[in-house]
Formats: sequence, structure tokens, C-alpha cells
Amino acid sequence: MDALMSLFEGFTHAVTPMNLLWVVVGCFLGTAVGVLPGLGSSMAVALLLPMTFALDPTAAFIMFAGVYFGGLFGDSTMAILMNTPGQASAIASTFEGHKMARNGRAPQALATAAIGAFIGGFISCFLVVFVAPALADLSTKFGPAEFFALAIFAFVATSSVVADSVLKGLTALVLGIGISVIGIDSVSGSERFTYGVPELFDGVSLVTVTVALLALGEVFFIASRIRRAARDNTISSSGRPFLSRKEFGEAVPAWLRGTAIGLPFGVIPVGGADVPTFMAYGLERRLDAKRPDPQFGRGAIRGLAAPEAAGSATTGIAMGALLALGLPISATAAIMLAAFRQYGLQPGPLLFDRSPELVWGLLASFFLAMIVLLAINLPFAPLWAKLLKIPDPYLYGGIAVFCGLGIYATSASQFELFILLGIGIISFVLKRYGVPLAPLMIGMVLGPLAETSLRDALIANDGNWATLVSSPITIVLYLLLIGALVYTGTGRVLARRRQRAQRETEPVS
Amino acid sequence: MSMPVKAHDSTRTNHLGAGTWWQGRSGLLVPLIMAGFSTYLLVGLLTMEVPDDVDRPGPQFFPALVMIAGYVLAILLAIACLRTPEPVDVEASAPAEVEEDKAFSTPVTSAVAASRLAPHEEDEPTTDRQALAEARKEDARHRTHSDFVSLAWGAGGFAAFALILEFAGWILAAALLFWCVARSMGSRKPLFDLTVALTFSSLVYLAFAVLLGLNLPSGILGGGF
Repeated sequence: MDALMSLFEGFTHAVTPMNLLWVVVGCFLGTAVGVLPGLGSSMAVALLLPMTFALDPTAAFIMFAGVYFGGLFGDSTMAILMNTPGQASAIASTFEGHKMARNGRAPQALATAAIGAFIGGFISCFLVVFVAPALADLSTKFGPAEFFALAIFAFVATSSVVADSVLKGLTALVLGIGISVIGIDSVSGSERFTYGVPELFDGVSLVTVTVALLALGEVFFIASRIRRAARDNTISSSGRPFLSRKEFGEAVPAWLRGTAIGLPFGVIPVGGADVPTFMAYGLERRLDAKRPDPQFGRGAIRGLAAPEAAGSATTGIAMGALLALGLPISATAAIMLAAFRQYGLQPGPLLFDRSPELVWGLLASFFLAMIVLLAINLPFAPLWAKLLKIPDPYLYGGIAVFCGLGIYATSASQFELFILLGIGIISFVLKRYGVPLAPLMIGMVLGPLAETSLRDALIANDGNWATLVSSPITIVLYLLLIGALVYTGTGRVLARRRQRAQRETEPVS
Repeated sequence: MSMPVKAHDSTRTNHLGAGTWWQGRSGLLVPLIMAGFSTYLLVGLLTMEVPDDVDRPGPQFFPALVMIAGYVLAILLAIACLRTPEPVDVEASAPAEVEEDKAFSTPVTSAVAASRLAPHEEDEPTTDRQALAEARKEDARHRTHSDFVSLAWGAGGFAAFALILEFAGWILAAALLFWCVARSMGSRKPLFDLTVALTFSSLVYLAFAVLLGLNLPSGILGGGF
């Protein structure tokens, strides 16, 4: 019951009028950014990062929690109303969610999503409270070889298993790792790839890369195709966001199943919540097909409830993994990690001993953020859609200004702005040719971990490569990885064969 | 202001490289970036100063792996691109949201096409497929090239912002950026935009520099602050 006591103490830190205000402000801003087309929750965190530097660490992270969960809510709101998911994890929600909205059940769809996210998030945060200290203990058993195996797992999983073109996925990954080696080498202290530019000694900042990739690149990308005809999918949602008892009964099992699928993915580094959301959607679809009156394709409430709960559950656990292991599972977690470092804090087992009030305050604020979000989203979700009434030029003009603001405020350097521009343009090119951006982020985040742990492992064992596979944990990780590769490889071949067969039988619509 | 914005500029079909061998092969840009970056790493590796007593593997070891992988990928990408050029009005004319889906990778469970060179919407419901097809027909009229004029306004605006920020101060520089991006997005009201831009940048300055105390340059307007 130690954990509960600590959590209780966390609440006493988090529940001060000032901190409550920050949670509300964070939720509000996060939802606002998440609602904007093309911008997702990780962008919300990156854009609003500089704002938090004016606060003390506890208040800043409490606000972060609000921004992050708010961004997730905003993503799914837009996925449902406009069919524009801000982030990959919201794509699964568009399938049935947008159909529900098109059938005139938009308020119910939004309520289903909000409650689903709440349930998934609540259960996962509750688990984190108990699991995080245990995870922190476990991670003390991790040596360099284990961390290297974890990093390799994440690399291969994001670039090959999850991405659809292995070649393009690997390209993004290698670019990301390449950017991460710039700067002074932490082991030997020699300058690497700086060409004498002092601004590069600390390397290229993760925040700069994130903002460039996800926000500025997006602005350029949209600018490059504005002459294209735009389809307006927006569905106005009015009416009371209430679920009838029958709908509620439909959704409950889906929420719970979604949560169960989402939980384990919080500690598996495959790049965030997109895999579990799709798995949850797929499961519901298969279960639905067995029922006498299949609902899928006509706006099935379960097809929306499960992925929402799964995504939120993964997010909650991923935050726990970040705190306990110092291992960022997703891009957003990586930005949080950067923020921790900005305050001189290193997430990981020691954080629980060194700054317990911060950790438990943050965990407590997750719960607060959930409740605040439910309160501001259930009744006001339709209002958020009004944000889309801002004309595009001003919307993206504002976003570009915020990119500049965020980077200049964190670095106070002109040079960093040019790096932002350069990577923004590269990101535009990558987007244009369908190169996935997620592996680039993961490479950038975990590249240093992979390098230092590889070198530490080799140095400690006189360059003996066998040390990388000498412990049970590493062997299990590599076996899992090989299994995943074989599984997706055969899955893809089968899927293609099935599609070909289907195309032959079914006339093109 | 010499470039009026038209909704459908018919001359744009005759864009740079149309009808030549290069058409559909602009995807070579990606391997080019890859090769360029690998060369950056290679030069850096060759000129790196490493103390003699450093533990092996030293600081060059890991970047060297990355560099080699970079060159190999650049070659493979170039081959893939040369063998199967981008279809002129199919692949790239998918609407932006679909591109977005691709940009963030498709998950395992949908386990779609192993090769990304063909568009894959087989998994999507029929209505979505129809919508896609319509959007494509719409797009086919002006082909798949990107609008580099718009892009130049956006990127140029940002470059100008970065250049003048410290001299002209936040309010003027950010207003310029806002104005350029608004223009690149097809806004046709330069004077009205200017007032919106100045109002917006001033509000941001008030909120972040004055209220939250972030360090934004006041520049030439800053005498009194």
C-alpha cells in the first residue's frame, strides 16, 4: 500500500489552486492544438513546451500532462467530425467514428470517444501507480546489452514492422539516428560532425526536429498543394452528448477490451499507440462479424469505443515507462524526456528516489487531467469544431509563428531557427514522397541510447560481440523481434494474396 | 505581389520537367538527401579529431555504421525509383489526409502491401475508395507536381523571419512570417492580412514576453520596453 500512500501524497502536491489552474490551462491548450487539422498531440506538447519554462518543474509537468491528454482528445474529436486524424493513433477512430457522425450521431460518437479515453487512461494510470516502482526495480537489472537490445527492437519495429515500406522506413530511421550523432560525443568527448560550429556542440535539439518535422513541414506540405480541390468533410454536431443506456451497454465491453489491448503496448517500443488502436479495431470488427446484425461499416459504436480506450491506455502506461525506465516509447514521450532533461532531471529508477514529490505529483495530475478533460470535452466538444472556422491562411500563419516562437524561446539562437527551416524543408520532401516520419523521431530519440549502450557493452567486455546476446533478457527480446518480423512478413504476403483474389472477384466500384 | 493567385492555373500542367524523362522520377530527391547526409557524415568522420587513448570502439564507430547504411539505402532507393517511376496522376494526387496516413505509417494489423510503390486503399471501405477516386480525378487536371511558388513564399518567409528577428524584433519579424505564410496559403488580401499579422504577433508578444517572461527580442521597437 506504499504506492497508494505515495499517490495520496502526490495529490496533496498536485491539488493546489495554482496547479489545478495549470491542469485546466494545459487541457484547454492541448485540446485546442489537437483539434487543428494535421497537428496532433505530440505537436501540442512540442509547441507548448517553451511556455512551461516559465513555471517550476512540478507545475510544468502537471501542465504537460494536461496538454498531452488534451491533444489526444483533440485528435479524436477531429478524427470523428472531420475525418482528419491529427496523429496515427487516431486513424482507427475515423473508420466507425466518422460514419457515426455522418449518420447524425456525432455527439454520441464524441461522447463514446471521450468516455473511452477516460476509461483507458484511468485504468492505465491506476496500474502505473503500482507497476512503475516495480518497473523501476526491474530496470536496475538492465545493463548496456539489454538497453541496446531494446533500442534495436524499437528501431526494427518502427521502421519495418509498423511502417509499410521497409526501404522508406529504414531511410527515415537512418536519418534520425544520423542527426542524433551530431554533437560532442558523451563517451570520449570528441567533437563529431560539428565542423567547428559552436551551436552544434550540444547536438541538434529534439524539440527543434519535432517542431520542424511535424509542424513546419506540415505547413509547407499544405502550402504546396493548396491549389488542389479541398473536400470539406466537417460534420456539425449539435444535440446532447448523451449515450442512451443501450449504447452505453454496447460500448462498455469494447472499452474494456480496448483497454486490455492497449495496456501491454505501453512498454513495448513500437512507436506509440497506433498499433494497439488498430488491433483493438480489428478485434471488434471480427467479433462484430459473428453477431446476427453486424454493425460495422454503419457507424458501430464499438468500433470507435475500443480504439479510443486502447490508445489512451497505451499512453498512460507509456508515461509510466518513461518515468520508471527513462525509455521513451513514442515521440511525445521523447519530448517529455527532453523537457525533463531541460530541468536537469533524468527519468529512470533514480527519479523515484530523488524527486518523489515530482513523480507522484505528476501521476496524480494524470488523474486530474482525465477528469478535467471529461468535464471540458463532453459538453463542449462541438464548440471545438468551431476552431476550424479560422481561415486556413491565418491558421497556418499562426502555426508558423508558433514554431518560430517555440524554438527561439527554448534556444534564443538564430542558428537554431535555420536548422528548423532546413529540417522543415527536408520533412516536406519526405512527406511528399511518402517516407514515414515516425521512425525518424524514434531514431533520433533512441540513437544515443543505442550508441552508448553498444559501446559500453563492448568496452566492458573487450570488444566481444557475444556479450550482446549473453543474458536471458536480451535473448528473449531478440527472439520476440524475429517472431514479429516473421509474423508481419507472412501476414503481408497473405494480405496481398487475399487482396488480389478480392480484386478479381469484386468489380471496381 | 506580382503573382496573382488563381484557383486552377492551366499553365501549371506544363511544369518543370513535364514530359521529359524526369517526369515521375522526382522521387530521386530522397536518395539524393540520403547520399548528401551520408557524405556529410563521411567528411565529418575523416576530419574528426580523436584522442589516442580513447576506448575502442571509439566515437567514429557508430556513425560509420550509420553512414554505410545511409549510402546503401540511397542506392536502393535510387534503384527503386528508377525502375518504377511515380505514376503521373495516381500516387501523388492522393488527397492530403491520405498522405498523412502514409506519413505516419500503417500498422501491422492492416498489414497492407509490402511495397509502397503502389497506392493501397484496398482495405478501406468502398465509400472512402470512391471519395479517393473522385479526389484523384479532380487532381488529375493539374497533375501531381507540388506548388513551388507557394512553398517558396512559406520557406522564404521563414528564412526572412530568422534573419531579421534579432534586429527588427519579434513583433515585426513574426508579423512578416505570418503574412508570408498566409500568402503562401492563397490569401488574396495583403493589406488586411497585414493588420491581422501585426495584431497576432503583438498579442503573442504580450502573452509570452510580457506575461510569461520569455525572452523575445524587442528589436528596433524596443526603446521603451
